[in-house]
Amino acid sequence: MRVLVVEDETAIREALHRDLTAAGFSVDVAVDGEEGLYAGLEYPVDVAVVDLGLPKLPGLDLIRRLRAQDKRFPILVLTARDRWQDKVEGLDAGADDYVAKPFQFEEVLARLQALLRRSGGWASSSLTCGPVVLDTRTQTVTVEGNPVELTTFEYRILEHLMLKAGDVISKTDLTEQLYEQDFERDSNVIEVFIGRLRRKLDPDDRIKPIETLRGRGYRFALARNPG
Amino acid sequence: MRSVSKRLLISVTLLLLLFFGVMVWVLEERFRRLAEDSLRGLLEAQINTLIASAEPDSSGQIVPRLGPESESRLSTLGSGLYAAVSRGAADPYWRSPSAAGSVQRLGPSQKSGKRDFFYLSDARGARLAALSLDYAWEGEGDLTFSVATDMAPYDSQMARFRHGLLRDFAIVALLLLLALAALLRWVLAPLRRLEAQIHSVERGDREQLDDRWPSELAGVVTNLNTLLSAEHTRIARYRDTLGNLAHTLKTPLAVLRSSFSPGAPGASLVNAQVDRMTAIVEHQLRRAATSGGASVGRHAVELLPVAQELRSALLKVHSKKDFSLELAIGAELLFVGDRDDLTEALGNLMDNAAKWCRSRIRVSAVLESAAGAARKLSILVEDDGPGVAAPDRERVLERGARADEHTPGHGLGLAMVLDMAEMYGGRLEIGDSDLGGARVELRLPGRMR
Repeated sequence: MRVLVVEDETAIREALHRDLTAAGFSVDVAVDGEEGLYAGLEYPVDVAVVDLGLPKLPGLDLIRRLRAQDKRFPILVLTARDRWQDKVEGLDAGADDYVAKPFQFEEVLARLQALLRRSGGWASSSLTCGPVVLDTRTQTVTVEGNPVELTTFEYRILEHLMLKAGDVISKTDLTEQLYEQDFERDSNVIEVFIGRLRRKLDPDDRIKPIETLRGRGYRFALARNPG
Repeated sequence: MRSVSKRLLISVTLLLLLFFGVMVWVLEERFRRLAEDSLRGLLEAQINTLIASAEPDSSGQIVPRLGPESESRLSTLGSGLYAAVSRGAADPYWRSPSAAGSVQRLGPSQKSGKRDFFYLSDARGARLAALSLDYAWEGEGDLTFSVATDMAPYDSQMARFRHGLLRDFAIVALLLLLALAALLRWVLAPLRRLEAQIHSVERGDREQLDDRWPSELAGVVTNLNTLLSAEHTRIARYRDTLGNLAHTLKTPLAVLRSSFSPGAPGASLVNAQVDRMTAIVEHQLRRAATSGGASVGRHAVELLPVAQELRSALLKVHSKKDFSLELAIGAELLFVGDRDDLTEALGNLMDNAAKWCRSRIRVSAVLESAAGAARKLSILVEDDGPGVAAPDRERVLERGARADEHTPGHGLGLAMVLDMAEMYGGRLEIGDSDLGGARVELRLPGRMR
């Protein structure tokens, strides 16, 4: 896994480099926002760690520009400014999670791994499959215009299914969207979530959004609308 | 007296009353003198006629001859025109027939003089104006001719004049006052508009006063706008400084911590101390960054978008957990205060709920029915977690809870929110939710859009 670290403070950058390498990552480092932007656009980055207080190009602008260039790898924000307003702005700009400084490395590692597991990726707009609309920015779902209240896990399974609408998704794949550690896997859990999703999205059993393919997994049956 | 227009109206009314009073008096005096002059002229003409017609009668007395047509008034009893002739200061030896019985004393006044104008009353008490004239008659010596006329017609004319004058002046004064009131409305309209705009700045409907004002007000308005924007930038700069301070304080802590590899000897001790210092820095900075209700010209903030932003942020941050976060907030609800303060307080409450819920969080808000500035927005954050046991509720909200005395669960965050709520004159209360967990109620100034 290739991780990009954008951090201007030398000691922290070097420590992250050292510890992430020890954890098995291949690490690229950038010392300011412009370098970070270049690396993010040019290298095949799997995940990025971005400090918000960067010289030359502020972290928020860096994230916005990466997202504007359709770079969808997960981004973990490091920030010393941890008022909610700052967090909201960072996540709204396109970051996926944040860790407040001063952080413990274990925390950074755990969050990075979690982000990498739910590889669904960052999508800039809403996903529409027939009457089902999923807004990735507000994490809200509507069916025929009516809001549907989903839990975080239900939402994430639905997002994954809709991103790959038409493809068969295995239970293992879906389980990885939800849990970080292998021992938590339990194939029944996915059946439970699929059942709940079906009831919430399609209480009258009319639109039948999710198909079960015995022994192979699940498929979102409604085609993605273009755009 | 608070109102400028009331002051002006009352003082101008008083001035008008004084002015018209003096005018009435002056005009009445003028008119009276004029009437008296014409009266005198009339009496003078009468007396001349009288003298011209006088001649000795059979007994040798000098008496006026009254022509039947021209002097009919002197011949008619009580006609109002009387005449008499006397010798020196003695009683008249001749009276006109009109004076018989009713006018006893129609003689010269006590003052001696050739020509004398004076007033007297007849037997019925009516006022008379009289003129007497001493005339040296050949062979008879000094004779005094007197003529008197009833004042009643003049008095009633005078009264009519005064009445008309007062009525006309009253009408004019009324019209003037009405015109003045209308004029005041027009002249003071910019002041009323200014008042309305300042009020809407207070309500948070606008940040600045607009810039089209009469030149007399333009300076004041410019100063007010400068003050308002200075206040805005002051808070923004203050926050920025605090943000930078947080950055500069925490970066060395981060460096300190990252200089120990995970599991290195001494790492846990350093980590614990760094945690403590971080918590203290955070606590103090957050306190300082809360603007509270003190700022002027604060904008009203829509509650729903803030809650929505926080919702999607929290869903990302707590992605390891399976829960739903329901928002039941009307789009018309506004918080009157600083957006950053609201985000911070609500973020803390919702984050706590996300940490402690099992699977459900509900955020709802209503506006209480009280009116005006005391109107409160009641924001409820409920979850289905373990809740806060009744004996712990006060401790959890304890002010100035030391940064290192972290109450598990709802800790430092809540004391912060309480501080913020109190700065706005609001409240924070913990109770039980019908979802099964904690129900935290935050009351802040609010209103409808």
